[in-house]
Amino acid sequence: MRVPRLLPALFAFGLLQVALRFKDDAQLAQKLRARDPHAMADLYDRYGKLAYALIFRIVRNTAAAEDLVQETFLRVWNRIHSFEPGKGSLGPWVLTVARNRAIDYLRSIDGRMSHNSLEIDRVENPAMFSRMEDRALTLDRAQRLKGAFEKLPANQKLVIELAYYEGLSQTEMAERMKQPLGTVKTWVRSALKTLRQELMEAATV
Amino acid sequence: MTCAERHELFELFSLGALEQAEQSDLEEHLARGCETCERSFQEAVAMNAVMLGLGSEQGNLPSPSKKLRRRVLTGVGLERSGWGWLGALAAAGLAVIAVFLATQERDRTNELANTRQDLLRTAAERDRLAQALSILDQPETKQVSFGKDKPQPPRGNVFLNSKLGVMLFASNLPKLAPGKAYEMWLIPKGGSPRPAGLFQSNEQQSAIHLVQGPVDTEGLGAVAVSVEPEAGSPAPTTQPIIVAGV
Repeated sequence: MRVPRLLPALFAFGLLQVALRFKDDAQLAQKLRARDPHAMADLYDRYGKLAYALIFRIVRNTAAAEDLVQETFLRVWNRIHSFEPGKGSLGPWVLTVARNRAIDYLRSIDGRMSHNSLEIDRVENPAMFSRMEDRALTLDRAQRLKGAFEKLPANQKLVIELAYYEGLSQTEMAERMKQPLGTVKTWVRSALKTLRQELMEAATV
Repeated sequence: MTCAERHELFELFSLGALEQAEQSDLEEHLARGCETCERSFQEAVAMNAVMLGLGSEQGNLPSPSKKLRRRVLTGVGLERSGWGWLGALAAAGLAVIAVFLATQERDRTNELANTRQDLLRTAAERDRLAQALSILDQPETKQVSFGKDKPQPPRGNVFLNSKLGVMLFASNLPKLAPGKAYEMWLIPKGGSPRPAGLFQSNEQQSAIHLVQGPVDTEGLGAVAVSVEPEAGSPAPTTQPIIVAGV
């Protein structure tokens, strides 16, 4: 079984980048909507490396990763009109689109069914990301989430990584891990509850 | 599902990692405008965004090639490649072909997965028919008809073999409501019905149901079928639609 080991290797500087890059996207979004040619270059300079790293982390193939980055930015460019001007963060949207392209690629080479376009439209809906508040993405929250993730028991870490970075459903996780579905659901629920709780506490501090 | 239960699923929902039924439930619920769940959904999306951001910050991940920036900008039509308009045209053509081939390849992979599933289903059906034929082939197999003397269908036959099992052929079965299934019962002489498996009919409202394994055909009084919840019942909960006296 492929067991990804990802988050423990994070750098403090990386966390800072994650938190700060997600902020102050409103102006960039407005320029993209206006089809400003420099805005796309700015968007790539801001999120290209992050998107590539995330996609490569999932597909583990440089050529496929570059193709999928191109698809990601093309999709963002074509759907930017749905992103409300003056609000929200582009980064989470770009990373979500990147992750979904990579997971779909992975599913296609594994012979699993790809997500249908309606599902994708719902979870990638730009309007949803433009409603996201900046306070959701502070450095403190990122650090707390990382800390909480690292403290999770090994089986809970694994199910979270399988969901986020391999796109497995709970049934697929149970098959992969050769564990009863109920057990896997309990691990997923507990892990998400811990992470959610940590974020809520960060928000109230 | 309650809103509190849905609250626990929104991270997986926004990752597209839920089972289809749960995914649809949450989608429909959000579409109805539940403000509590919309807030949970937003929080889940924010958490996922931070998780994905952390995921892209692993120390040993490679950087993209320098050409990728140009590819991305060329891909959205904002920059020409260094080969002039002819090269740009060729690159665009190649990009279209590459996307087309990639799409074809994905479609083929999906088709292959579907075909594999179909083959597995066909193989299972073939095995079931082979087992059915083996029961019919045995000289000691006993046949009982039902429904002939009734004004209303269903009609059919039950074949009983003490070593191989019981097989039911039925036609003109009543249409099932959603969430229902036919359940077969083996009723011993002077005893209570014992469940003998659930089945569905085909589009022509016919069905073949096979129960494999030794059966006490001498002690058996009747074979019956009733309509039950699709999870099955330990004892019949409705009037039987088929009763075949043995």
